[in-house]
Amino acid sequence: MNSTEAAQSIVAGLRDAGINLVATLPDINLAELLRAVEEERDFIHVPLCREEEGIGICAGAYLVGKKCAAIMQNGGFFNSNNAIVSTLLQYQIPLLLMIYFAGDVGDRTFGSTGSMTEPVLQALGIRYYIMRDSEDAPELIRRAQVLTEDCRRPVALLLTKEVLGRRAALRSL
Amino acid sequence: MGAIQRFDCLKALSRLAGDALVVSSAGAVTLEWNAARSSDGNFRVRTLGLCSSIALGVALGLPERKIIALDGDGSLLMNLSSLATLARMKPKNLVHIVFDNEVYEASGKKKTATGAGADLVGLARAAGIQNALWAGSIEEFAQAVERALNGAALTFIGVKVGTERAAVPPYPIDEVENKYRFIRYVEKTEQMVILSANLPASYE
Repeated sequence: MNSTEAAQSIVAGLRDAGINLVATLPDINLAELLRAVEEERDFIHVPLCREEEGIGICAGAYLVGKKCAAIMQNGGFFNSNNAIVSTLLQYQIPLLLMIYFAGDVGDRTFGSTGSMTEPVLQALGIRYYIMRDSEDAPELIRRAQVLTEDCRRPVALLLTKEVLGRRAALRSL
Repeated sequence: MGAIQRFDCLKALSRLAGDALVVSSAGAVTLEWNAARSSDGNFRVRTLGLCSSIALGVALGLPERKIIALDGDGSLLMNLSSLATLARMKPKNLVHIVFDNEVYEASGKKKTATGAGADLVGLARAAGIQNALWAGSIEEFAQAVERALNGAALTFIGVKVGTERAAVPPYPIDEVENKYRFIRYVEKTEQMVILSANLPASYE
């Protein structure tokens, strides 16, 4: 899949999972995905200035019946940590976190951000799955949404260049 | 004439708020609001700064319901970018009230940036919220709230208040109970289902 098809596959997964509010902050690798999110009429799209706002917006919308996803880079996930802990975890509020995995193996930008992403998710007790296959993406998104709703905790999906259609997948990854 | 007291504003607000859902900031404002209007339609925020964002999410999710955010200067200063996001999304049903006492009241009363001259109404206007005003008295505050609740435009109301706290009881419930009560209140008053459980696998 190219990046446009990959973006459509991910958006289809979000829609099928029942997501209807999406808060986003751009990364160049998320450009096609955010374009597809913007065009999806079933979504309320909230473009953010800072990712932590998105945690609050999604928490508030959850309280009144919306199913939400927050799309950001892993640097933005770090920006969001206080809100994740003292709102999402404290109140037991679910949220699908779609995090671009900057600094993934072979990615020349933000190596230190990439190195700390999984340890921070683990420290927060947030279950996460690394997405590398565009065809699997819709089903994995549906399953992750079931998990976050049932355990009433955020669940993270790490978006790699592979799942975003920006480089070829390796069989061993 | 002494400073305006936040609790007097909240008592005036309680007579105007009707069944509006209220999101209130971390700090004493939440306890005072609970004393002024005890309701399952109140949601207490614990993350400093997040009140305006949580209120925006509630407002976007329920566009036909009036939503009131009760914010503070220290809280809003921590999340100033939320003003630009609010202006961008323009929820018509949201009234954003900021009680500006110019100190981190719950954290030792150290001066905030508004005590050094930062103008929150000016910042809200500059962010793109056209209906942004200071209320200079309880009467002006009540009038501004009434106009905002009767109107259909995102409104930002700032009011300079003193640093005194009213003698009020502690918040009666923890965060998780607050969440469930709030959700059940929304379900009941909006006649909608938000939380549902699946049948056990043995039924499938």
